[in-house]
Amino acid sequence: MTEETELIELLKKKDRAAFKDIVETWQNMVYNTALGILQNAEDAEDVTQETFVQVFESVSSFKGESKFSTWLYRITVSKARDHIRKKKRKKRFAFIQSLYGRNDEPVIDPPDFFHPGVGMENKENAAVLFKAVEQLPGNQKTAFVLNKVEGLSYIEIGNIMQITDSAVDALLQRAKANLKKILKEYYSAFNKNE
Amino acid sequence: MKDEFINKKIDAAMHSLDGIEKASPRPFLFTRLEARMQTEKNVWYKLSSFVAKPIVAFACICLVLIINASVILLSDTKSNALTQTSPELATADEYSQISSTIYEFENVKP
Repeated sequence: MTEETELIELLKKKDRAAFKDIVETWQNMVYNTALGILQNAEDAEDVTQETFVQVFESVSSFKGESKFSTWLYRITVSKARDHIRKKKRKKRFAFIQSLYGRNDEPVIDPPDFFHPGVGMENKENAAVLFKAVEQLPGNQKTAFVLNKVEGLSYIEIGNIMQITDSAVDALLQRAKANLKKILKEYYSAFNKNE
Repeated sequence: MKDEFINKKIDAAMHSLDGIEKASPRPFLFTRLEARMQTEKNVWYKLSSFVAKPIVAFACICLVLIINASVILLSDTKSNALTQTSPELATADEYSQISSTIYEFENVKP
């Protein structure tokens, strides 16, 4: 029995020490994924906590058919996407700022998320890229974050999203094409305003 | 020239996540997690979060409106029934045959 399996068995018995070990082992992975999707440190911490609460409550349903990390990634992604949905629902009742200014000129929304893992030399460019990632459809965003921020292979992403490797490849191709389009619009508008 | 500049910027942005390091949460995440789980165990917390659900809140509002409407409708039919069952009272009232004030009792002629 591996150490991981042992920890899971202990967690099924609601062992506090095992739960602590699991949280400390996987917290960076869960937080980093949530941060990539949500682009907000507080929201990412919130989702990290929600993920581990879910793990504690439903570990008995984990049958070991997939890797524990895959199961954990699935919960994280689903919680992060739920969080985005909840936020959008709240925004519907609030005042939504128009994308266009008074003269129908596109307003440049400056990037405001700086990932702490990006080096200084790439900080500005990464912030612009994250702003563009925010506009991608859900599945493309998830695949892109898992690939670029978490550094996962197509097979691993396929297992998490429960799709084939070729579907992951197609998702990433579409994500990249969409990102280039969004970035082109952004830099063109930025150039015009300068 | 302008397109070249834009393409360069796009390429730079697309490769800006190469070599990205993993972010870590603030220290003592487990302590905060335990505190959260304790709070969520609380009965009042469970109750308030249940009531705060939009579907539950909406159902409660509907229930209050239905109760209000039924009370109004029922009281309306009851008052109609009362007026129908006591025609003698209505007639007496109309012809002032019933005195209800002390002043009128004192001034009753023999």
